[in-house]
Amino acid sequence: MSHGENAAVMEAHWGGGAAPFGASWQKTMMWIFIVTDGLLFSGLLCGYGFLRMASEAPWPDRAVVFKIWFIALMTFILISSSATMGSAVTAAKLGDKKKTTLFLVATILGAFAFLGCQAYEWTELIHHGARLTTNPWGAPQFGASFFILTGFHGSHVVSGATILIITLIRHLMGKTPAQGVEMAGLYWHFVDLVWVFIFTLFYLV
Amino acid sequence: MSETAHGGNPYKIYVWTWVALLIITGAMLGAESLPMPRWFMVVFLLAFMAVKAVMIGASFMHLKYEKTNLRVVVGVGLVVTTLILFFFIAPEAAHVREKSTIPMTAPAAAPAHH
Repeated sequence: MSHGENAAVMEAHWGGGAAPFGASWQKTMMWIFIVTDGLLFSGLLCGYGFLRMASEAPWPDRAVVFKIWFIALMTFILISSSATMGSAVTAAKLGDKKKTTLFLVATILGAFAFLGCQAYEWTELIHHGARLTTNPWGAPQFGASFFILTGFHGSHVVSGATILIITLIRHLMGKTPAQGVEMAGLYWHFVDLVWVFIFTLFYLV
Repeated sequence: MSETAHGGNPYKIYVWTWVALLIITGAMLGAESLPMPRWFMVVFLLAFMAVKAVMIGASFMHLKYEKTNLRVVVGVGLVVTTLILFFFIAPEAAHVREKSTIPMTAPAAAPAHH
């Protein structure tokens, strides 16, 4: 391949232009946001890994601290809401307003169910003496790791629920195109994706 | 959207992904009751975590229908940055732990001031 041909291929794949990623600017911006927000969580998870590995005191036994069946229920709710969100995006693309509304409502209900579960979990742990700097089960860093990781994720669930409610209202008013539902969906799936990592690294490992 | 262009039930992919994610989650939860070494269980859980992440990204977030360069920027960008971050701080964590477990020696008696 000549230098000119090679440059042309590189330009086709990586060049600027109106849509370098073959996606609309809204979707490209949403992906850039997701990557940067993902880096925030990767930093938090690496920080948690550092604290756990550097901890002199034994890390609390998850089977003692958490009700694993309850965390599994929270995971089930979030995975299910992600499936309904994907269905809402597809329904919106197909122009099926009734199904879009139905799936968006189901996703919002899932978001609130998850938040309710998280509020219950936090209340239980605080009631048992867990704080940012101390806890009755072992390494003091556990409390900070738990509240910061799940708190940041929970704040994203709150944002996601807010975005979904706004999207639903605008959809009912006929103001949100299918792409608007898709953008809200990308954010909601990201919230689910982050939970996959928190669930495994914090609750299971 | 590509998945609706081929006909059939356009919602099927979400149902299958949902079922697969639930099965994998169930397997991860049930793993601890199996007699396996700790290191193997960690590898098992991390592998299944990666599979779940790829499934959510590819099916729910429609990354499998996007251009390769978007997939590369999102996937490789996030994974490589996280691995670099982790493997830079992991040795430091081991160092901090090692330092904290060295028994402290009694400080030398300070000379008396007259």
